[in-house]
Amino acid sequence: MRVMIVEDEPNIVESLSFVFSREGWQVVAALDGDTAIGHLLDEPPDVLVLDVMLPPHSGFEVLKRVRSEPSLRHLPVLVLTARGQEKDRHTALRLGADAFVTKPFSNRDIVQQVRELAVGKEGTDGAQTGC
Amino acid sequence: MATPLIGLKIRERRKEIGLTQTELAGRIGISVSYLNLIEHNKRSIGGRLLHQVADELAVGPEVLDGATERRLAGDLNEVVADPLFDRNRLDPQAIDGLVGRYPAWAQALVTLHRAFLDRSKAMHALADRLNHDPFLGDAIHRILTNISAIRSISEILTSVDDLDAERQRRFHTILSEESARLSSAAQGLSTFFDKAHTATRSTTPAEEVDDFILENHNYFPALEVAAADLLRRLDAPPRQLEERMLERLELDHRLNISRAGPEDERLRSARNPLRYSQHSRRLILLDSAPAATRRFAIARLLARLTFGAEIEAIIAESATLTTPAACERAAIALQSYCAGAVLMPYDRFLEDASRARYDIDLLRRAHGASVEQVCHRLVTLRRPAAEGIPFAFMRSDPAGFVTKRFPLPNLPLPRYGGACPLWAVYQAFQAPDTVVRQLAEFPSGDRFLFVARAVVKGDNAYGQPRQLLSIMLACDALYADQVVYGDRLDLSASAPADRVGATCRLCARNDCPQRQEDVIIQPQSLEET
Repeated sequence: MRVMIVEDEPNIVESLSFVFSREGWQVVAALDGDTAIGHLLDEPPDVLVLDVMLPPHSGFEVLKRVRSEPSLRHLPVLVLTARGQEKDRHTALRLGADAFVTKPFSNRDIVQQVRELAVGKEGTDGAQTGC
Repeated sequence: MATPLIGLKIRERRKEIGLTQTELAGRIGISVSYLNLIEHNKRSIGGRLLHQVADELAVGPEVLDGATERRLAGDLNEVVADPLFDRNRLDPQAIDGLVGRYPAWAQALVTLHRAFLDRSKAMHALADRLNHDPFLGDAIHRILTNISAIRSISEILTSVDDLDAERQRRFHTILSEESARLSSAAQGLSTFFDKAHTATRSTTPAEEVDDFILENHNYFPALEVAAADLLRRLDAPPRQLEERMLERLELDHRLNISRAGPEDERLRSARNPLRYSQHSRRLILLDSAPAATRRFAIARLLARLTFGAEIEAIIAESATLTTPAACERAAIALQSYCAGAVLMPYDRFLEDASRARYDIDLLRRAHGASVEQVCHRLVTLRRPAAEGIPFAFMRSDPAGFVTKRFPLPNLPLPRYGGACPLWAVYQAFQAPDTVVRQLAEFPSGDRFLFVARAVVKGDNAYGQPRQLLSIMLACDALYADQVVYGDRLDLSASAPADRVGATCRLCARNDCPQRQEDVIIQPQSLEET
């Protein structure tokens, strides 16, 4: 499985990359939204882990762009939000986020969420394939 | 207050210092029977005679004419109008009695109410900052991000047994970095809350300064003397005054003066046409600022550097100014007072005002001042035996926030929030830079002439928002025939006038289509017949 992390904090990217790699997943990382969009269009991952506070465009703008691209419309997106920022959750939901993890998160929780999204995607892909 | 107590006060004070009616009447040159009528409130007293009586009784005229009590009663009226007391059904008739019999209790109530409003403002300001401040949002996100990294790395270190040594070192380094960032973010947050607290406390000092100026009737004789003395030393015709003031700043105060280029102009604040650094003793003049604003700012800086001792002495004597912040604000207000006194010297300005029948534009041109500077100076013409017309002054922003006020005894101006929306001060916003005059009648029957004008403050660069302020002078309609703005107005008591109030909550005009809130006070004396 291929997971893309879009997060401007290199230390979080490093720790999550390590954790995801231990699960046997292939990890791609981007520190800003523009780089992320480029990678996403070149080679879409199975799950996108997206922080909402990104330079220069916010994670919401990346999410909006993802949902506007036909090839990425069904990409499962896990959004990282800060605890207590309810308005961020509402915005992300409106823009098409599939799941949330609030900072500070535990490694176990985020792995679990990514796994569930991946399983869901497989189901969707299967259904689509079956159509 | 409804009942004038002036006669009673004269009698009480006369007896207190052991003077007979005959002795006092003889000293002030009136008959004993006339003094007797005054003491029984059967004859009114004011002007020079009141000042003479006050001098003989060794008290200030404000002690005798009840100005202090009227102000306190006005403040209490605002307290009673607070929605907080809606259910208490406070009887406004009792205000006079409370002020007359228990002035200390009345003052305590006003103080308590102000403290309550201060706390409420602080609470709302803090809540607002917590909800909307972008710094706070960023800081919290930063802290949570640092914690996320620390938590994630810690979990790896405790749960993964086969980490190689290099990886362990790397993760320990990350832990150290993120801990340091977390500390820094937490310190920033702590500083933010300190500043937020300080900022919200500034409301009380502003009110202290407000009261300090009212208590002094906006007239400071020591500063008038000092300003007149400085003007003599400057020895300059009005056209060269700015130049001479700059010379004094350069020579006496050793300031290094330069002129700002266009790139600085764009950044200038409308409130500050010059930049002064005390540390480097540099003064940068923003040349394209409005001339009146620049001259005033130069005069204020000269006053600040020249009259420090005089200003400090006045502040030190005041019992009203209790906090360093209030003293600082008062010092700035007094520096501005001095600037007005230097640019518009008392005697000449009073004479010009009287001759021009208080035409603000004529005075503005004659003294090279702005509308606001002239209006402000007119209010300070309170020297005993050389007084101008008593004016109230009010300055409001378009949101109705009163940014400056100086009331008259029988014309209370709101301290908090807006006044009656029918007042000329608000109508003036509809046509900036146009004089709006209004003969206004209050439910009590008192009539005032309102003269207002909305002016653009400063001279902003393209793209900067304009700061629009409305400035209003008000005088008792009795004086309207002495000012140019009363011309061609029917000033007879039966002439039609705009029916206004103080604020909705204090106004008994129940049929007013402009009403925004229910009236809380319905005193019989204010009810319409």
